[in-house]
This record gives sequence, C-alpha cells and structure tokens, in this order.
Amino acid sequence: MRHTLDIYRRLILVQIRSQLQYRVSFLLDTLATGFQVFISFITLALILQRFDGIGGWTLSEVAFLYGMVEVAFGTMDMLFSGFDPANFGRQVRQGAFDQLLLRPISATLQVFGSQFIIRRVGRIAQGLAVLTFAIVSLNLNWTPAKLVYLPIVIASLVCFFGGLFMIGATITFWTVDSIEVINIFTYGGSEMMSYPMHIYPDWVRRFFTYILPAIFLNYAPALYFLGKPDPLGLPPFAAFLAPVAGIATLLAALAFWQYGMRHYQSTGT
Amino acid sequence: MRLFFELFKRAFQRALTYRAASIAGLMTNFFFGLLRAAVIMALYGSRTDVSGISIQDAITFTGITQAILSFLNIFGSYDVMNSVSSGEIATDLLKPYSYFAFWMARDFGNAINQLLLRGLPLILTYAVFFHITLPNTLAQWLALAVALMLAWAVSFSWRFLVNLSAFWSPEARGIGRLAFGLTMFLSGFMMPLRFFPDWFVALCNLTPFPSIINTVIEVYLGVLGGPELIRALLSQAFWLVLLFVICQLVMRAGVRKLVIQGG
Repeated sequence: MRHTLDIYRRLILVQIRSQLQYRVSFLLDTLATGFQVFISFITLALILQRFDGIGGWTLSEVAFLYGMVEVAFGTMDMLFSGFDPANFGRQVRQGAFDQLLLRPISATLQVFGSQFIIRRVGRIAQGLAVLTFAIVSLNLNWTPAKLVYLPIVIASLVCFFGGLFMIGATITFWTVDSIEVINIFTYGGSEMMSYPMHIYPDWVRRFFTYILPAIFLNYAPALYFLGKPDPLGLPPFAAFLAPVAGIATLLAALAFWQYGMRHYQSTGT
Repeated sequence: MRLFFELFKRAFQRALTYRAASIAGLMTNFFFGLLRAAVIMALYGSRTDVSGISIQDAITFTGITQAILSFLNIFGSYDVMNSVSSGEIATDLLKPYSYFAFWMARDFGNAINQLLLRGLPLILTYAVFFHITLPNTLAQWLALAVALMLAWAVSFSWRFLVNLSAFWSPEARGIGRLAFGLTMFLSGFMMPLRFFPDWFVALCNLTPFPSIINTVIEVYLGVLGGPELIRALLSQAFWLVLLFVICQLVMRAGVRKLVIQGG
C-alpha cells in the first residue's frame, strides 16, 4: 500500500512540475477554466431579475446545488483526469495504453497518475465561491449533523462523478474513440444536478434515480440542508443515501473497468 | 473560388465519414437541449410571455442554439493554433493562396456539414418533442439564411483572430478558453439577450458577439420588425468587415514575428 501511494505521489509530482513550467499560461488556463463554468451561474443570476425563481427555488437555493456540484466535479476532474473519456480514448487509439500494461505496476494506478490537471482548481474555486454565497445568504439552520454531512456529500459526489469517468473510459476499450454520448452522463449529469430535480420530465428523472443514482447525491441532501419540502415524495432517509450511492457507483465502475481491461484488445498501433 | 470549393468538399467528406460520431453528437446536443428546455419551463412557471418572448419561443430558442452551436463552433476551435505550434503553418504559408481564405474554406465545409447533418435533424427531433416556432414567411426564411451566413462568418473571423495569438504565445490555449467563454456569455447563447438587464444588453451590443447568436435567434423567432431587422443584419456585416480587417493586420504582424521551430 505504501509502495502504491509512493508511486502515485511520484507520478503526480511529475505532472505538477510540468504544468507549472509555463506560469503565465498556467494562470490564464486556471482563470479560463473557472470562467467558463462561472458564466452559466452569472447568466442565471442576471436573468432571474425578470423571473420569480426557478421551479419555486430562489437563486441562493439553486446556488447551493450548483456550488456543491462544481466543487465536486472540479475536484473529480483533477483527480480522475487520467480517466477522462476524451483523453483516455486517445491513449487507447494511439496504443499508449499498451505501454502501461507492460510495466510491472497496476495499470489502474498508472492511469490514475497519468493526468492531474491542476488548472481545475479554477473550477473548484468558483464552485466554492458560489457555495459560500449560497450558505451566507441562506441562513441554514446548522446542526452538528449537517456540518459533518456536508463534506461527506461532497466526497460522495466526487466518487460518483469519478465512477462516471471510469465507466466512460472503459467504454472506449470497445469503441476505441471516445464517443460524445458519454458526455450526456458526465457533463450532462453535472449540468442537470445543478438545478432542482423536480423541474425535469419524469423519464429523465427516473433514469437519474434508478439507473444512475444522481438524485440521492445532490437534490435529496439539498432538501435536507435547505429544509425544503420534497415535492417528489422520496422517503425521508433518501437525503442520507449520498455516501451509499457515491461509493456504489465508484465500485461498480471499478468492476466494469477491471472487466474491460481483461477483455482489452489493442488496436495494434 | 474553385479552390475554395475543393477545400470545402474535402471537409464535408471528412465529416461524412464519421457517421457514428455524428449520431452520438446529435443525441448529446438533444439531451442538453432537453435540460435547457426544462430550465426554461421552470423559469416561466405559469407565465406565457417574458420580454416579448413566449414560452414556445423560449423553448424553440434552446433547440435553435443546440442546433447551430456546432455550425458556429461556439465552444471555439484551436486548429490554427495547433498548426502554428506544430510548425505545419510553414508549408501552409508557402501555398499560393491567402491563409485566411484557406482556413475559411475548411471551416465553411465543416460548418455546412454540421448545419445539414446535425442542425437539421436536431430541429426535426425537437419538433417531435415540443411545439416549436417556425419562421412563417419566405422573407423571414431568406433573412434567416443571410443572418446565419453572416453569423458564421463573424464567428469564423473572431475564432481566427483568437487563434492568431499563437504567433505571440507558445501556449495560447488559455487565451482561447477565455475568449470562447466570453463568446458564450455575451452572444446570447446561454439565454436570449432580451432576458438580461438592459445595461448588460447595451454592453453586449458593443461587442461582435450578439451577431453570432442573438441576431440569428431574433430573426428566426421573427421578433424584429422591418427596420430593426435591416439594422441587425447591417450590424452583423459591420462586425464582419471590422474583424476581417483586424485579422489581416494582425496576421501581417504575426507572420513577420513568426519563428518556426525546426523538426
């Protein structure tokens, strides 16, 4: 285990050093990464002056959902960038993945350590800014339980999104190229989870409840934190299923990934 | 002109080759459209009209923007940048035609392909799921065609200009990401500009970005009266000419400065 961690640390350090080589470009990149996501929130804030709210939720309440998702997705996108389907698909196509299989350490570990995109801190930072805005303006009734549960929900979201990236990466073993459809679950999933779930058509919500347990990772916990009534009639314990849903998704993804590796056939390039 | 046509044909054929990818892209665009339509409906609630835009128009807006986003390359393109950093530009510059026209022809081929093979099916899919607004006179359809072409040309010139930053900076991608983020924000891609506060719209109108999306949307929805419509199209043309001139100037300065790394 210590050996594994040591190798992971070394792989990541190489990444960090190389990305910090061009400082100006790194700063610009970081700024840009935060900016792109930030504008969708600013847009909502600007247009809400002409509307009363969104599906009965105020800007601050949506900011809570949005901030949680952004912090978690940004963190995941940094830790799991090696599994980013677009990036990993290229590795498979060009045969770079074959090289990893030849080395005497776990290929999973190597993929983990193959990318660590630091500019994602831009996204995490703007997510934190939005989340802080939400928490400050909402006057949530903080209890010790809520204080403990908040970081747990964020960690569960990281696991959940990480699992989606791993599933996407695994699919590229068969499709060779990254297919854009995966974006529906990764980027589409995170976009969807930034708004209250009751605004979506039933079939979309059912998919993101029963097939992918997204609803338990953001919407249900948010109802608990914000003290809002549940229009969907989920059982009361649904708010506390976040860790179960997050870890289950990640474990299922890992199993699928292992299965994919066993059946991997190189492209020969 | 013949050359333009040939380059255009090549780009079109290349895109046709990847049909599976096109279908996957279509599904993705449609799904994002669904999410955006759900947000619009939740915003409208029980209202039927906001700032002169009916709910049906607003839902149509999400369909149109999803349909033309790849036609206009809203998320940006980095081709010229890549060819500068790979050194490919050295051979391209030797070729006996304008560098700007060379990329423009390629971009046009891709754009038309995206419009026909992605935009059109997407709108048709939308029409199955939602009640969408359609332009109802021939004049409106013609105005739409003109607005679309101008929008593409403005978008291309802007992207080309951003890409030229690669002449000065070895890692221009960050600049690109910021610039293309700005395009999404100020063009009316996220939401119709009419929903925004007036001061914000005034700010947007000082930039070429509304010419890329918002004009097309307003022409399509038919919310512009005769003189307003002419003014909107002229404003697109103005930004196109301005960006074209700036591109030429920057290009000239850039080529003088360009150092090709060997290899």
